[in-house]
Amino acid sequence: MNRAVDPRDLAMDGDGLAKGEVLLEVKNVSLRFGGVKAITDISFDIRKGEIRAIIGPNGAGKTSMLNVINGFYTPQEGTITFRGEERKKIAPYQAAASGIARTFQNVALFKGMTTLDNIMAGRTLAMHRNFLWQLLYFGPALNEEIANRRKVEEIIDFLEIQHIRKVPVGRLPYGLQKRVELGRALAAQPSLLLLDEPMAGMNLEEKEDMSRFILDVNSQFGTTIALIEHDMGVVMDISDRVVVLDYGRKIGDGTPDEVKANQDVIDAYLGVSHQDEGEG
Amino acid sequence: MFYREAGQFKTTYAADQQVFPILQDRIGVAVILFIAIAVVPFVANDFFMSAIAIPFLILALATIGLNVLTGYAGQLSLGTGGFMGVGAYACYKLATIFPDVPIVAHILLSGIFAAAAGVVFGLPSLRIKGLYLAVTTLAAQFFFEWCFIRIPWLYNYNASGAIEVPGLTLLGVTVTGPAAGSIPRYYVVLAIVILLTVLVKNLLRGRIGRQWMMIRDMDIAAELMGVRPLYAKLSAFAVSSYLCGVAGAMFVFFYLGAAEPSAFSITLSFQVLFMAILGGLGSLVGCFFGAAFIWILPILLRAGPPMIGIPIAAETATHVTSMIIGALIVAFLILEPHGLARLWQIGKEKLRVWPFPYA
Amino acid sequence: MLYQIFVDPFAQMVSMPDFLIQVIWEGFVAGILYALIALGFVLIFKASGVFNFAQGIMVVFAGLTLVGLHEAGVPAFLALILAIGVMALLAIAVERFVMRPLVNQPEIILLMSTIGMTYFLIGFGEFVFGGEPKQMITEELGLPTGSSAFEIGEQGLVILQHIDIAAAVIAIIMVASLALFFNKTRIGRALRAVADDHQAAQSVGISLNQIWAIVWFAAGIVALATGIMWGARSDVSFALEIVALKALPVLILGGFTSIPGAIVGGLIIGIGEKIGEIYWGPLVGGGIESWLAYMIALVFLLFRPQGLFGERIIERV
Repeated sequence: MNRAVDPRDLAMDGDGLAKGEVLLEVKNVSLRFGGVKAITDISFDIRKGEIRAIIGPNGAGKTSMLNVINGFYTPQEGTITFRGEERKKIAPYQAAASGIARTFQNVALFKGMTTLDNIMAGRTLAMHRNFLWQLLYFGPALNEEIANRRKVEEIIDFLEIQHIRKVPVGRLPYGLQKRVELGRALAAQPSLLLLDEPMAGMNLEEKEDMSRFILDVNSQFGTTIALIEHDMGVVMDISDRVVVLDYGRKIGDGTPDEVKANQDVIDAYLGVSHQDEGEG
Repeated sequence: MFYREAGQFKTTYAADQQVFPILQDRIGVAVILFIAIAVVPFVANDFFMSAIAIPFLILALATIGLNVLTGYAGQLSLGTGGFMGVGAYACYKLATIFPDVPIVAHILLSGIFAAAAGVVFGLPSLRIKGLYLAVTTLAAQFFFEWCFIRIPWLYNYNASGAIEVPGLTLLGVTVTGPAAGSIPRYYVVLAIVILLTVLVKNLLRGRIGRQWMMIRDMDIAAELMGVRPLYAKLSAFAVSSYLCGVAGAMFVFFYLGAAEPSAFSITLSFQVLFMAILGGLGSLVGCFFGAAFIWILPILLRAGPPMIGIPIAAETATHVTSMIIGALIVAFLILEPHGLARLWQIGKEKLRVWPFPYA
Repeated sequence: MLYQIFVDPFAQMVSMPDFLIQVIWEGFVAGILYALIALGFVLIFKASGVFNFAQGIMVVFAGLTLVGLHEAGVPAFLALILAIGVMALLAIAVERFVMRPLVNQPEIILLMSTIGMTYFLIGFGEFVFGGEPKQMITEELGLPTGSSAFEIGEQGLVILQHIDIAAAVIAIIMVASLALFFNKTRIGRALRAVADDHQAAQSVGISLNQIWAIVWFAAGIVALATGIMWGARSDVSFALEIVALKALPVLILGGFTSIPGAIVGGLIIGIGEKIGEIYWGPLVGGGIESWLAYMIALVFLLFRPQGLFGERIIERV
């Protein structure tokens, strides 16, 4: 059971981009709810193969940004270019079909289903047998089911959750639920993986585990990752580049070191007023 | 001690994914099927066959239909009776227009009409959910009831306003109408129910069933995994209404013999809903438990007390049934929202470790 | 055909305005009764998020209790007070045995539990009072009977039943006093707090159980009033249960949490279905009253799912 996962099995093929090329570009995006501005004129890009962190204080618009990227919200202005295709409006299932998967801030697993079924759910887009074959559950439909099961089992091995394979996820502790959710997103073999606070509410050990999984996913499968996280230590350690939002605007963008040195970012986090004699 | 899977190792995913992975379960199902096919018809009297076994099987199928929609896809429906009626009236029209086609074909075809009706009334589910959807299914319920009363073409302009089942034969045996015996009717019903139950189980454990459950548990996440809500919800409505339609057709052709529009009133919708809740939402075996319980309880209440010397008026029995079922629904929702099916499962777990209290 | 659908009904309306007014009035009164049932729904939904399917049967049950007590020889006003007492007991029982154990369950479970309650109450009501329709004790309660006729134009005639006028007045009084209760009293404020956020309300020392018993009691009183009015128009029977389901489309129009919405929605549905039945019903054989309200709601849902007075819902993930 413990054989190593062959990275080629789970890697997302066919997006035709070399490491370091721009995978996703957000250009001048603004999002409003009625009169409330959630995001104002934000632009940044995500490059193939990197771990890109999006940070910022509460209410900075980070989750809204993810929602825009995977089509759950439609921005009033601006465009998103993913794998060279520019789009203004896209339905979430289309975003999923184009290779974007994500996890959620408050675990959004399918509570009534087992771990296995949840991760199988992530393979929805890889299964195509039609209604009649499904009715018979025989021949092609069964073969397809088993081929996908094999992929899912690889993910289960990779995330070390074999023991909870047939447990309904509603009964799992929070840390494991987060891990199953990561597995479900991985099962889609995405070219871009969005993680919304993957370590929220975890203890140190669980955080270390999760960090290791994220780094492994990135290096073994070559998956590009964009993550939102509040734990600065984790963010600075694992991400290649960081974009900083505050009140729906972008205030910093660059490598962790550049961001750490950015005066706007320091002010936003420490609450210093812009007069230099602020109390720090 | 006897019921345990120790030593039964699965070496292929196919073996791990079968419906009854445990040997003892497979034996149990075989025994039940054997009893249903080869024992019941020869042991039971006519009353049991006509008034208990046949309607129980038919209503279990209707409950499966509702469970697909409510238990698996998470869309509450209060229009089951209406969809069953569509199946019944469609079957009646088909059988009177094409009397030479075998009745089983009509029964299975009539479900398609109900499925179409289900899809039409399922369309609003794309924009609305939960309680709001319950109202649109109520619209279906009342609209169809009205159709059955006001469109004389549907009941062939009968003076009584009711549909009366013609006597039809299958392989030379009369299976419908007043002349049909209970045993042939039972076999036809049993065959259809077994066939459809197996097919539904296949759907449920495959991609389509998983999509329904994804929509039920977390519709937003489902969409972000690539589920198209349009297909997932409408397919659930179609399959659900198909099953209800077939059940409705069988209800008239193999059980009632003749039906007025009031046979498919909202009372029937609630009856089936209660079967689904008590049996267990999201469980196939629960549908059979629920249907058996709700169908047999009133019969027992009517027949039971007089047997032990307590006279009970038929009306009083009905009232008491209604109270008991209502109270049980509330009690189950509080104590065991997954219904009788979950109790069954707990019982099996206990049996696994018996004679020890826990493993 | 097009003429019959689009022209003829309007021509009829114009040619016989007195009849049109009569139809609108009938619809208005039916609408008030729908609105009263919807009001009971709204009260409970606002305070607990429970969609109370049993409101309809509570109306029947309240009416039956009143009439049943009177039949048993209790004077009318004492019977009324006792009926209020019974509704209070019912509220306490519901809170204790249904709502409290089901706290924090998904709304679909709560809805189904009220459907179970409906069945229990039907069985219980029939068990105690019998299934026969009963006459409402209108006169004994001092409610007006009889009718007045008004002449309109040359030879038009509109007949208003006094009991209908009384129904309208009582409905207005009830809505006004509920609005006062919600906005001006301590309990009203606690109620709104609970409606907003259960946990936050509890954390400032509001007892959820107490509040729920109070709203169910309030809904019970509304049910009693509805039962009396409705019973006076037809009679008290379990057939009302089906009619009471029309409160659902009313709520869809008005929004599940809005008291003015319940009133306006009730009137729209009441008048709309009467006009539809009288002027368009004959085209398809009549009887469309049974489903027209639901269809109106269905169409409405497609365009404005949050209701007339509800707030727009922004989904979050």
